[in-house]
Amino acid sequence: MIKITNLEKIYRTEEVETVALNKLSIEVKGGEFVAVMGPSGCGKSTLLNILGLLDDPDAGSFVFNGIEVAKFNERKRADLRKHNIGFVFQSFNLIDELTVFENVELPLIYTGVKSADRKKRVEEVLDKVQIMHRRNHYPQQLSGGQQQRVAVARAVVNSPKLILADEPTGNLDSSNGNEVMQMLTDLNEQGTTIVMVTHSEHDARYSHRIIRMLDGQTVLENIMV
Amino acid sequence: MFKNYFKIAVRNLWKTKGYSFLNIAGLAIGIACAGLIFLWVEDEVTYDQYYSNNKNIYKVKNSQTYDGTTFVFDATPGPLAQSMKADIPGIKTTARTTWGNRVLFSLDDKTIYEQGLYVDSGFFSIFHFRFLKGNAANPFPQLHSLVVTSDMAEKFFGTTDIVGKTLKVNNEQDYVITAVIKDLPENASFNKVHWFSPFRIYGENNQWLQEWGNNGIITYVQTEDNTNSNSINKKLVGYVKSRNKEANSEMSIYPNSRWRLYDSFDKNGAEKEGRIRYVKLFSLIAWIILIIACINFMNLATARSEQRAREVGVRKVLGAVKSKLIFQFLAESLIMTFISALVAVVIMYFTLPAFNNLVEKHLSLNLLAPLHIISLLVIVLISGLLAGSYPAFYLSSFNPVMVLKKLKLKNGAGAGFIRKSLVVIQFSVSVILIICTVIIYQQIRHTKDRDLGFNKNNLVFMSLQGKLKDNFTPIKNELLQSGIAENASLSSSDELQYGSNSGDFSWDGKDPGKQLLVSMVFVSPEHLSTAGMKLKEGRDFYPNAAADSNNVIINETLAKAMKTKNVIGSIISWGDEGKYTVVGVVKDFIYNNVYTDPAPLIFFCNPGYANYLSIRFRPDSDIRTALSGMESIIKKYNPGYPVEYNFVDDVFDMYFKGETLVGKLAAVFAVLAIIISCLGLFGLSAFTAENRIKEIGIRKVLGASTGGLATLLSKDFIRMVFISCIIAFPIAWWVMHSWLQDFEYRVAISWWIFFGAGLLALLIALVTVSFQAVKAAIANPVKSLRME
Repeated sequence: MIKITNLEKIYRTEEVETVALNKLSIEVKGGEFVAVMGPSGCGKSTLLNILGLLDDPDAGSFVFNGIEVAKFNERKRADLRKHNIGFVFQSFNLIDELTVFENVELPLIYTGVKSADRKKRVEEVLDKVQIMHRRNHYPQQLSGGQQQRVAVARAVVNSPKLILADEPTGNLDSSNGNEVMQMLTDLNEQGTTIVMVTHSEHDARYSHRIIRMLDGQTVLENIMV
Repeated sequence: MFKNYFKIAVRNLWKTKGYSFLNIAGLAIGIACAGLIFLWVEDEVTYDQYYSNNKNIYKVKNSQTYDGTTFVFDATPGPLAQSMKADIPGIKTTARTTWGNRVLFSLDDKTIYEQGLYVDSGFFSIFHFRFLKGNAANPFPQLHSLVVTSDMAEKFFGTTDIVGKTLKVNNEQDYVITAVIKDLPENASFNKVHWFSPFRIYGENNQWLQEWGNNGIITYVQTEDNTNSNSINKKLVGYVKSRNKEANSEMSIYPNSRWRLYDSFDKNGAEKEGRIRYVKLFSLIAWIILIIACINFMNLATARSEQRAREVGVRKVLGAVKSKLIFQFLAESLIMTFISALVAVVIMYFTLPAFNNLVEKHLSLNLLAPLHIISLLVIVLISGLLAGSYPAFYLSSFNPVMVLKKLKLKNGAGAGFIRKSLVVIQFSVSVILIICTVIIYQQIRHTKDRDLGFNKNNLVFMSLQGKLKDNFTPIKNELLQSGIAENASLSSSDELQYGSNSGDFSWDGKDPGKQLLVSMVFVSPEHLSTAGMKLKEGRDFYPNAAADSNNVIINETLAKAMKTKNVIGSIISWGDEGKYTVVGVVKDFIYNNVYTDPAPLIFFCNPGYANYLSIRFRPDSDIRTALSGMESIIKKYNPGYPVEYNFVDDVFDMYFKGETLVGKLAAVFAVLAIIISCLGLFGLSAFTAENRIKEIGIRKVLGASTGGLATLLSKDFIRMVFISCIIAFPIAWWVMHSWLQDFEYRVAISWWIFFGAGLLALLIALVTVSFQAVKAAIANPVKSLRME
């Protein structure tokens, strides 16, 4: 599903040049659950942004579902993203002015799903993450665990092929964290590919494979048994 | 999709009520102000559209050139109308009218003066009045016919069904009402006219109008469809001269569309902008006020961008492209503008009476009128897009990776600079308007305080009705004996408007090639002393008018123009009319145009041509008793006529109507611009204080004083006001300098006005900003530091 080869990303400010990704090559197959680990500044977030088509690499190749996307413009990337990729963030990133229902509905609006259809799909997915009873609440009225469940619901409402999770349990206590991890595992078992950046060895154990990064390169891969 | 935007917009408005209030209040004031101005503009530019064929309507203009200066006016020779219709193809109808006649009508014991015109019957083919009663095709079936407006009909008869009834005119002649027309709207020519009668009646009493050399009436022309006015004007070149060799008149026809807004001519006789200047100026100001209000929106929206940044990031991650986000933010600003427009309509409804009072019109806002509703929507659309454009492009350009990672947005330099520039624009406009207001008022004051050369106070004049002229001597004697008046006199025109003039004067040593236009006034001997004019040389007229019938008094300007050593005793010839000896020179006094130096003028001692009675009250007299005493004396000698009079100083004040209106509007605009700018500044300073709350906390912990912190927070804004002044001063100077060029008698622009306006703007800005600055500075630092 994902094949990146010799990927490079360099951040430049006036004085400093920071190499975030240094000729990185990774492959993720469809249906895999991959955890990316490494110290702060090793480039894992940059990797996730490029995989999510939020950022473009300076050099190298990125093949997504058989298509070379490294040189896509913003419009093409947005189009590919909204149909194929779901995001889960550490800080949830729900829109405060929208209700739970409306937050989850948003990706469907951008992909042009009809209103009646939207309602059905949002309710389905809210049911699945057991937050249906709070559908008309605003994010601030929910606990952290509930907010992250809404965020997961929003990530999967479009039935994406790939979910990118950036420390999804970072802001949660352990029981809420486990619940979210279980949800991701369930999704993976239903066929969704997942790439998760995490600091937590505990969370990483939910994955099939751990990629460990340092200074913009992979240093080790562990296959989980 | 739009529903989603709408929801977000409304919830955002609600969440940030304070900012929303500032935005909506600013925009609503701006839209209401622009709306009122556009109502005024609509009224001005639709003037005379009441007359359905106004594209074919013209007025004949007369140009006369004296010594290189061309005067353009409406007075035309009597025979012109009939003659040009017969001679020039393309002319469908012509009609002569008088300038306006105030005539006494009576029915039983009802006696009322009404303003009207003597017109040729062709007048009704040119101007399509709405006939309620009577025959529009033949409105004047007999000599003493009378067409009246429904207003006048109601006044006398209480009904409009009055065709065939009679009214007595000037207590002498019965006129038969032959038609009743609908009252004219305010923005149509002749809206102050209440009756029309055949021109023949006037013509028979004024035989002098029959000569080509005398210009005494107005001529209107209706052209055939698809006739080019140029072709008619070509035929009019030399037209009057070919009939009267001595005439110095060139005729041309002047279209109806220019009467109201232009009808102003420079020294070369070329048309220049009249009222249209104000229409343009006010339209421009309306847009400027709108822009100022839009700037508030831009500034507050971009200042608050960090709060919206995360939303932008999330939406981008979820697949929104930039164009969709731009659309969303534009939609938001349109919603905001729309709400403002609704508030503006309410404001307009409440302020319209005051505005009408100010501009002396009866404007009304009609939301069912397509023009009004469409204009309002256009204003909403334009200001919404204008206000939303910059925030939309700015907000939608955020990089989702940066904002979601909570990295510092690099908006410091660029956006901050634009925000500051926008505030500078707002304050520049405010400062310019303050300066203009002050200078306009100074100019009005300056001219009002001008030494007129006569005493305009305690002086009334009235037109000579009935037996007033015949009974002048007993009236005067009784006024003086009763102690009411100091003096009284007769004259051919009132003190401020010396109407008639001639270029036909000559004297020894005059360059025969050069004609000089000289004003003529025919007076009784007491006129100069009644008006309070002062003699420079020679003597006043003798009390016995007959003794001075061949003598004249001239003004200083004419004396200078004559260039003779001994003016007193020199002879002035007036064409074939006769020779007159100069017995006195009167000190220059101001007449006709308060802004220029007086033109040459001759007083003839000939009360026979008088049209006005002037009465000077004693300076110590109580005006109310003096007036009632005057009325009873005049009634005694002139029974059957209501006493109508004007104070010269009241009439004088009316001369400043145009300038006073501009001054008042400039003041209103200045205040509005400042209010709107301050609303924005208030929001912006609140934002700045909020944004720097942590910095303030740290500084406070390290020992900064409240005063020092308030200064720190205000400093930036003060600098902006300074820059605004630097931009505003030269612009204001240039605008006022060119405005003042229109007035020969004008005030000098003094530096303290600029200084004062700058100081005022600074003070207002300081008060606005310091509120937030002090609030932030006295806040408990522990709280603000713990927030992180």
